[in-house]
Amino acid sequence: MTPALPRRLLFAGTAGLLVPLGGVPSRAQSTGVANPEITDWIVIAPDGEITLGLSQPEVGQGSYTVLPQILADELDADWQRVKVRFVTGRDAYKIAFKNEPAVQKEGASMSTTVLYARLRTPGAQAREVLIRAAAGHWKVTAGQCRADKGVVVGPQGQRLSYGALAGWAARLPLAASPPLKDPAQFALIGKPLARLDTVAKCTGAAVFGIDVVVPGMLYGAIQSAPSFTGSLTAIRNEAEILKLPGVRAVVRLPAVHVANEEPGSQHPGITQGPRHNAVCVVADRFWQAKRAADALDLVFDPGAGGDLSTAKIDGLLHTAMMADKAVTAVETGRPREILQERAASIVERRFTVPHVTHAPLEPVNATASWKDGTLEVWGPIQAVAACQDAIVASLGIKAEAIRLNVTFLGGSFGRKIVPDYVVQAVHASKAVGRPVKLIRTREQDLRHGIFRVNAGGRFRAVVDQRGYPLAVQARVVGQSLFGATRKSWLDQTPEGAWDESMVDGIYNQDYRLPNFLVETVDTPLPVPVYFMRSVGSTAAVFFWESFISELAHRAGIDQYDYRRELLSDNALARRVLDAVAEAAQWKARPGVVRGISYNCYVGRGGRFRTYVAQVVELAPAGDRFAVKRVFCAVDPGLVVNPNTLTAQIQGGIGFAMTTALLSRITFANGGAEQSNFLDYPLLAIDGMPEIVPIILPSDRPPQGFGEVVLAPLAPAIAQALLQASGRRIDSLPLPVEAFRRPA
Amino acid sequence: MKLILRINGATRQVEVDGDTPLLWVLREELGLLGTKFGCGAAFCGACTVLMGDVPVRSCSLPVSALGDGVVTTIEGIAGREAMAVQRAWIAGDVPQCGYCQSGQIMGAIALLKANKRPTDRDIDQAMSGNLCRCATYVRIREAIHAAARDLEGPR
Repeated sequence: MTPALPRRLLFAGTAGLLVPLGGVPSRAQSTGVANPEITDWIVIAPDGEITLGLSQPEVGQGSYTVLPQILADELDADWQRVKVRFVTGRDAYKIAFKNEPAVQKEGASMSTTVLYARLRTPGAQAREVLIRAAAGHWKVTAGQCRADKGVVVGPQGQRLSYGALAGWAARLPLAASPPLKDPAQFALIGKPLARLDTVAKCTGAAVFGIDVVVPGMLYGAIQSAPSFTGSLTAIRNEAEILKLPGVRAVVRLPAVHVANEEPGSQHPGITQGPRHNAVCVVADRFWQAKRAADALDLVFDPGAGGDLSTAKIDGLLHTAMMADKAVTAVETGRPREILQERAASIVERRFTVPHVTHAPLEPVNATASWKDGTLEVWGPIQAVAACQDAIVASLGIKAEAIRLNVTFLGGSFGRKIVPDYVVQAVHASKAVGRPVKLIRTREQDLRHGIFRVNAGGRFRAVVDQRGYPLAVQARVVGQSLFGATRKSWLDQTPEGAWDESMVDGIYNQDYRLPNFLVETVDTPLPVPVYFMRSVGSTAAVFFWESFISELAHRAGIDQYDYRRELLSDNALARRVLDAVAEAAQWKARPGVVRGISYNCYVGRGGRFRTYVAQVVELAPAGDRFAVKRVFCAVDPGLVVNPNTLTAQIQGGIGFAMTTALLSRITFANGGAEQSNFLDYPLLAIDGMPEIVPIILPSDRPPQGFGEVVLAPLAPAIAQALLQASGRRIDSLPLPVEAFRRPA
Repeated sequence: MKLILRINGATRQVEVDGDTPLLWVLREELGLLGTKFGCGAAFCGACTVLMGDVPVRSCSLPVSALGDGVVTTIEGIAGREAMAVQRAWIAGDVPQCGYCQSGQIMGAIALLKANKRPTDRDIDQAMSGNLCRCATYVRIREAIHAAARDLEGPR
C-alpha cells in the first residue's frame, strides 16, 4: 500500500522562507519551488501550513474532514494549520469496490472503510521522515526525537517546525512501512471534530459546481425528449429562437445514457447513439437560455420504449412475482420440499416499491471549456474516472487532454456518478467554441434524470409449533440494477444470473433459518437507472423485515423477542438489537405505538458489516399518526469522527423518511411524469422526527456508514402501524390512509 | 432594462431583461453566488433572501418587481439576529452538502427577527418551505433554539 510513485515538488508558488538546514541546499530552494510534497497526500509549506490531499469528493458525507483527520493524526499535524485540496491523477487515489481495476470514485460507503488503512501509512511515513530530517540536522538519532503537533522535538528540547523541515524531508527516502500509532495514542481519530467545510457553507463562500465562473463563459439550458428512447426529428422554430435576446446558438445534443459498463471497468458506461435526444440553447445569461429553451418547438420520435407506463411496469412486476421460473440466489436445507409438503399452512405476503430518484438539491450542472482540442471541466462530479471515460467515449478526445476540477457537490446520493450532464456541457462548449455552464432546470433534472430501480417481493413461509420460521421462500423481482448497468457484478448460476443488490439484506440476512430459498427475477426496462444511497436494501429490507413482522405478529410474540430469538447465534447482531430496545425502554414502556427492525448492511463484495437496529415511535397528531421519534443503534466499527457519524444517522433517517412516505416516480408515454418538488416532494422540517443515536464501541476497523441507517426505517414504521391498527402495508411509499388513527 | 437595486447596503445598477428573476441577477450580474438555484418555482427555499425583514424566494421574483425593496443576501447579513444564527449554525455544525444552507440561514434570521423565542411549532411553520435533501433538520432546529438563547443573553 506504500505509494511507489516518486515524490515530486508540486504546487509552484512564491519563494518560501525556508530555514537552511545544516548547510545542505534543499531541492525546494534550488528549484525555487516553495511547498514540498512529502507523500502523494501531504504538502507542507515553509510557514507550516499543511495541505492534505482529498481523493473522495465531498457530497455532504464529511469526507472533507474525516479523511484528512486520519492523515493528520498519524502525521501529528497541528489540526489548526491543515488545509484540504481535492487531488486526482495518481494510483494512490484509486480504489476498487470488488475484484476489479481500481479507479478514483466515491460511493458504496467505501471511502473511510478503504482509506482508513491506506491513509495512516502516508501520514506515518511523513512523520517518520520529518523526524529523521530533524535528527540529521541535530546529529542525534531519530529515536531521540518525537513529533508534537507540527513540530519535531529533540533530546534537549530543541524544536523544528514541520514547515522548516519539509524541504529537507522531501529529499529523503520514505520508510516503506513505518510503525503506525497505537490507537490509544490517537489525538484526532475518534474525536468529534468540527467539519472543515462548515464555515464556508454558512457564509455562502463554498463553491459548488453551479457557482463556477470562467472568463468569457456562456450559459446553457436544455430541452430533452419526453421518452427515454426518444430522438429529435425536427426543431420547428430554430430561426426564431436564435433571434431571442442573448441567444448565441442552438445545439443538438447526442443521446448519452447509462448503459452497461465496458468489460473490466466498474463505472457506468455512457453510450452515445446515432440519435440526438436533447437541444441546448446557449445564451449570454442563464435566464435567457432557459427562456429560449422553454420556447423551443421540438419534434421527437418516442422510439421503441415510447409505450412505457407505470401500468405496464407493474404488470411485469406481478407476472414475475408469480412466475414458475426464477434464478436461485441462495438455497439452504430443503425449503422447496417443506413448502410443498405443508402447502396448506403457508403464510404469504407480497410487496412492491416504485422507482424513485435522488433529487439532490443542486441540480446537475457542469462548466466546460473546449479550446484547441483540449478541455477543462468544472463541476459537481462524484466519480472522476467515470466522467473522464464518458467524455473520451463521446467526443473522441484523449484522456490526457482533459482537465477535471471537482467542486463541492450540492448533494448527489449516487446521481452525480453518472456524467451525462457533463458530456452535454462539453458538447455545447465544443459547438460554440466558448466556455459554457450548462444547468439543468429542476424539471429537466427530475424528468430526464437517473432513477433507483423498482422492486416486487413475494415471500412465503411455514413455521414451527412456536411460530418461528421452518422454511422460507423469498423472491425479489424488478428491474435489475446490475443487469442494466453492471453485468460483471452479476452472480452467475446454471439457471441464469442474479443481482445481489436486488436481495441486499435478504441473501445475506442474519436470522436463523434452517431452510431458506432466495430467488430473483429480472424485468428489464428502458428506464435509466443507477445506484442510489442504500441501493437495493431500501426495498429488500422493507420486504424482509415486514415479512418477519408478519410472522411474529401471527405467532403472538413480541417483535423484539422474536427477532432476538432468531439472532441468538449472532452476538454482534444481538448487541445492537438489545441496545436499541434498552434505549427505547421497549420492555419498561409497554403500550407505545412503535416498531422495531434490524439489518446488517454488508458492503459490496463483503467489504464491511455495519449492524443497525431501530425503534420507531408514532404519536397521535390530530386524527393521524406521525413519526415522532427514532432510536437508532449502530455498530460501525471504529468511529473516526462521532460528529459526522451522528450527522449521517440524523440525515440518513431523514432521507429514508422521504423514501418511506413520499417518493414515487410514475411513467407515461415512455418517460417519467414528475417534474419538480410539487409532485416529487421531499421531507420538510415539520415531518422530521426526533433522532436518538446509540453508537456502540467496537474494536473493528471503520465500517461503511453513509447508507446503512436508511433501510430499517420503513419496515419499522409499517410494523408500528400494524400494531396500532392491524393494517398490513404492502407498498412504499407508505399509503397516507394507513396513518389514520382507528376511531 | 436598466435598474437600480439596493442590495446588501449598497446601490447597484444592472441592465437585464426585466422578467429575469432576482436570483439570476444576484448570481450572474452581481456575483453573489451564495444564493442558490434549487427548483425555480419557490418550492425548495434554496434561493431565499430577505426583502426588508421578510424572506422571499428570489427564483420567482422578477427583478423589475423589486421596486425600492432592500435586499439582503447571505453575503450581506448583519445585525444581532443574523450573527446569532450564523454563530449557532457554525457551532452546531449544521451543514452536510451545504447547498440549501444559505436559504436556511436566511429563513432562520427572518424567523428570529419576527419571533424572539420560537417554539418547535413556530420553527416548523416558518421553515417548512426550506427543503434539505441531506435532512439536516435536527441540527437546524437545535441551531435556531441556540440562536434564540444567545439573543436572550447579555448584550
